[in-house]
Amino acid sequence: MIELSHVSKRFDEETAVDDISLRVPKGKFCALVGTSGCGKSTTLRMINRLIEHSEGEIILDGQAIEVYDPVKLRRRIGYVIQHTGLFPHWNVARNIGLVPRLLKWSATEVQARVEELMDLLGLPVGEFAHKYPHQLSGGQAQRVGVARALAADPDILLMDEPFGALDPITREKLQDELARLQARLHKTVVFVTHDMDEALKLADHLVVMREGRIVQQGSPLALLQQPADPFVESMLGGLERGLKQAALTRVKDHMTSMGPTLPAQSRIPADFSLRQALSMMLRDHSDRLAVVDQHDVPIGELSLRRIIKEAQLDKGNARE
Amino acid sequence: MSNSLSALPPRKIASPWLWPLVWGALLLLSVVAMSAAEPLFRWIEPDARQVVYDRVDFYVLLGRHLLVVGIAAVVTIVVGVAAGVAVTRTRGADFLPLVGQLASLGQTFPPVAVLALSVPVLGFGTLPIIVALMLYGLLPIVRNTLAGLQEVDNTIKSAAHAMGMTPTQTLRQVELPLAAPVILAGIRTSVTINIATAALGATVGASNLGDPIISGIVNGNMAYVVQGALTIALLALTVDSLFEVLQHSLRSRFTAP
Repeated sequence: MIELSHVSKRFDEETAVDDISLRVPKGKFCALVGTSGCGKSTTLRMINRLIEHSEGEIILDGQAIEVYDPVKLRRRIGYVIQHTGLFPHWNVARNIGLVPRLLKWSATEVQARVEELMDLLGLPVGEFAHKYPHQLSGGQAQRVGVARALAADPDILLMDEPFGALDPITREKLQDELARLQARLHKTVVFVTHDMDEALKLADHLVVMREGRIVQQGSPLALLQQPADPFVESMLGGLERGLKQAALTRVKDHMTSMGPTLPAQSRIPADFSLRQALSMMLRDHSDRLAVVDQHDVPIGELSLRRIIKEAQLDKGNARE
Repeated sequence: MSNSLSALPPRKIASPWLWPLVWGALLLLSVVAMSAAEPLFRWIEPDARQVVYDRVDFYVLLGRHLLVVGIAAVVTIVVGVAAGVAVTRTRGADFLPLVGQLASLGQTFPPVAVLALSVPVLGFGTLPIIVALMLYGLLPIVRNTLAGLQEVDNTIKSAAHAMGMTPTQTLRQVELPLAAPVILAGIRTSVTINIATAALGATVGASNLGDPIISGIVNGNMAYVVQGALTIALLALTVDSLFEVLQHSLRSRFTAP
């Protein structure tokens, strides 16, 4: 668990981070979002003591971080950065095995762990283990970066705009894989990004920052339903907010059992998002969709009127 | 010979060891069989009583030459790299401009002047020339060590820091290996220059491959001068091509297929 209470960071006269408090429970994914210069990266770097905080308390697993030796602390926290920071003179396998070697694991343990991680991140060992970073594509390099961060099996993972330099298709693919990994590994993750869609997609807990302060934090749905101010609202996409919220909602949560009428012509799988359902309704000029399971057997129905009615109810609930 | 080589198709010929072997063989030939070329030198100096330098054997001179350059090189490499590393650490950063200037100053000082100044203190012989070579050879090494270390990408250094490497581990496992090609280029310049400069030692009584040259100048015997110059040039070419091989193998580690 990571807990920051009333943490500030001043560089000379300038306050980079101003009295922020936040809590990331064990196994949760927290995203820090904001425009550049809002202090989100500084906040991240204070957690592994790359930057020392000026005021307040940062607690890691019940102990203030000042208690830990900085070098040992960093070895038990995984860290991923935008430009990977892979060592160009080391091959992929050696790069991934860095922290286990620092922790003096035996050579066979290191090798086994490296192969396990390459497997986990979809990098075939035979093909990639002996390649050098400059021979990798951006996406492959960042997979290696993530593998390196996970190598010593840390409980905590800090990620500083890890996918910011990738093309949209690769970025989305890696986001999906990170979500899949997180569902399996349950790391405590702090993830910095300026891409709200990325944050909404991955986070359990969303923290919006501006000028060193936290403007609002909560679950992605809570923020979408009740943005605290116009800044958060604009970060959440202004008029597109409804669609972003729909993207976080599964079709199966809004379907009704099949009515007496004939099933609708258009079919949508139950685990698709509401956003995809709305898009399909627009495309097919239909206010009803048949919901199907993975075998394409209809199991329910989705109607536009019902979605709108339920959205009103949700908003009412959030207000209370 | 050069004709037949250039006539070969531009594929990668033989091993990178080709040139060191060629130059080394010629060097060896010249030190053991200089007298075989007597007719040639006789043609240069038809009137001289003696045309092949024989006061000391050439291989002995070569050995002494290598010893002087070698000692100077080891000391300059150790001192130069250590100074370069020290001033790029946070604690030594204040001395960065000073070290840069001192090293430049060493090179602006002509080696002859260093010899002239150090003989009264150190006496005649090998020591003054080693001192002169050390001063003269320091700059390329310090300068390239600084450049090499400063060129290492900050992202990579901060990643090393963030992964939990200690400063010493970062220096030894990341910074020095990445700066190695540049540092090696500095050592190559320094050593190659010093092979030629060491010949000056003959003027202050240090016996080496400069002997035939000085003796030739003093006695007006061009053949001696040619013999000394030829051997020194071949030695410089051999050592330089060895460095080329070393640099090539360092570089190829980053561009492995």
